[in-house]
Amino acid sequence: MATAEGVVVESSPQRKIGRYVMLGFILLWCLFPFVWLIDTSLKLGDAALNSPSLTQGPFGLDNYLSVFDQGFGYNLRNSAIVAGTTTIVCITVGSLAAYAIARLPLKGKVLILSAILAVALFPSVALVPPLYELWRSLGLLNTYPGLYIPYTAFTLPLTIFILTTFYASIPKDLEEAARVDGATAFQAFYKIILPLAAPGVFAAAIIVFVYAWNEFLLASTFAPRDLAAQTVPVAIAAFTGSVEFQRPIGTITAACVIVTIPMIIMTLILQRRITAGLTAGAVKG
Amino acid sequence: MSPSVLVMALVAAFPVIYAVILSLYLYQGRLREGFGGLENYAEALSSSRFWGAVQATFIFTVTSVGAEFLIGLGFALIMRQVFIGRGVMRAAILVPWVIPTVIAAQLWYFMFSVTPGFVNFSLGLDRFNWLGQPGWAMFSIVFADVWKTAPFVALLLLAGLQTIPDEMYEAARVDGASTWQRFWYITMPLLKPAILVALLFRTVDALRVFDLPQVMTNGAFDTESLSILVQRFVVQTPNAGFGSALSTLTFILVLVIGVLFVRALGRDFVLNVEDE
Repeated sequence: MATAEGVVVESSPQRKIGRYVMLGFILLWCLFPFVWLIDTSLKLGDAALNSPSLTQGPFGLDNYLSVFDQGFGYNLRNSAIVAGTTTIVCITVGSLAAYAIARLPLKGKVLILSAILAVALFPSVALVPPLYELWRSLGLLNTYPGLYIPYTAFTLPLTIFILTTFYASIPKDLEEAARVDGATAFQAFYKIILPLAAPGVFAAAIIVFVYAWNEFLLASTFAPRDLAAQTVPVAIAAFTGSVEFQRPIGTITAACVIVTIPMIIMTLILQRRITAGLTAGAVKG
Repeated sequence: MSPSVLVMALVAAFPVIYAVILSLYLYQGRLREGFGGLENYAEALSSSRFWGAVQATFIFTVTSVGAEFLIGLGFALIMRQVFIGRGVMRAAILVPWVIPTVIAAQLWYFMFSVTPGFVNFSLGLDRFNWLGQPGWAMFSIVFADVWKTAPFVALLLLAGLQTIPDEMYEAARVDGASTWQRFWYITMPLLKPAILVALLFRTVDALRVFDLPQVMTNGAFDTESLSILVQRFVVQTPNAGFGSALSTLTFILVLVIGVLFVRALGRDFVLNVEDE
């Protein structure tokens, strides 16, 4: 690996150690708060509030039981449905749109991508008052569509942007060959291009899902309390304790861990894909 | 692509126009009282609460994006130099990005809180009230944001760094360029596109900050952002007219800053797509 040697050759042992110390610092920065979170969620009763020490017990799983007693299962279900629907709609529409854009002549492409970028920069708060009035009259407050419709609109631009970069990297000759062999335009897309773009589609899907799963402003405005539609972030922000004005640290941290662990595992497995999606369009290549 | 343009137009453009219409009416609670023209705008622009929110939003944006850029660049430069465990590093760096901001907010709320007081404990402070006073409340929120997004910035910049060929550094080294000179005359210019993109997305994102101050301080102690302010007039003290005027003003503000950025970026940003 020539590139690796180029940089490593000049390193003295001290510099090497220095680098790994700094690397350790980055790891600590990213992961230590989760160690603290898990530790705190396992503390029983008031133990979590009484001492900042990581080793001060007693420890147990009671907080996790009380999280589900407060209906957190419903919140997980709601978030899964809302984020899942957003992802499916977004990827279906987005992959077709991105394909069309990627095959456009350059001038039209720049124009459309600029327009898409403008929508991507749109502040979601501008939607809050008008959509609230609209959803109220349409009866969409506290419903799934009330959330996944705006989520889809907000994630489509980014999806199209990411996917266009992936499609653009697929040689046109491939589909032309398919067309010569008698495939229709749609067959060429469906059988040749889509499988090749699968990693990109997958990356975009993860990013859309994470956005919809994490969104808080619209969710807390359009579905604030009703367990029929309240999503995970809203629930985590709204947990109330037995004592007023005191946040139930145990319940909240336990709920955070329940949500975080699967996301961390997913990230560890899919990091390559996610990185590819996030950096698409940001850099050449 | 017409269906997607249609969906975007319906859900994005239509509400903006609807907001402008709503903002011209006067409301009492949820009831429409009559046509008010630009009265809501006049009231918003002359209220100290609006300008307080503008100030809080700007302070948050400038400090958080600035710190995220510097720390993110540092992380990226370190990660570029190391070749063992890069996958693990990239995964770790994605973790703060992937978790919901609300979770980050709760986490840092408890970290900064007087009880249990983990931050105070780590710094050897006794019962310092980070979240309960102006200035330090904003600091805590900015800190939480920097924690969550600096790694993300690092990821974007690392991708940019990896497109710079090592031969360029080799050649510069042979010519006797110092580490600083190589950074300033090779890394920075070639990294510029990636930097601008990262700054654009971070700035626009920071201008719409809601989750962190909402959860950590509930907008108290000079941390009420524009997004929180708008949401207040929808949920807490509903007034569709005034709320819409505020949201329209916010929209214009973010749009102007976004457009300035995109102009600075120029066509090459969009054209990156074409270069493959």
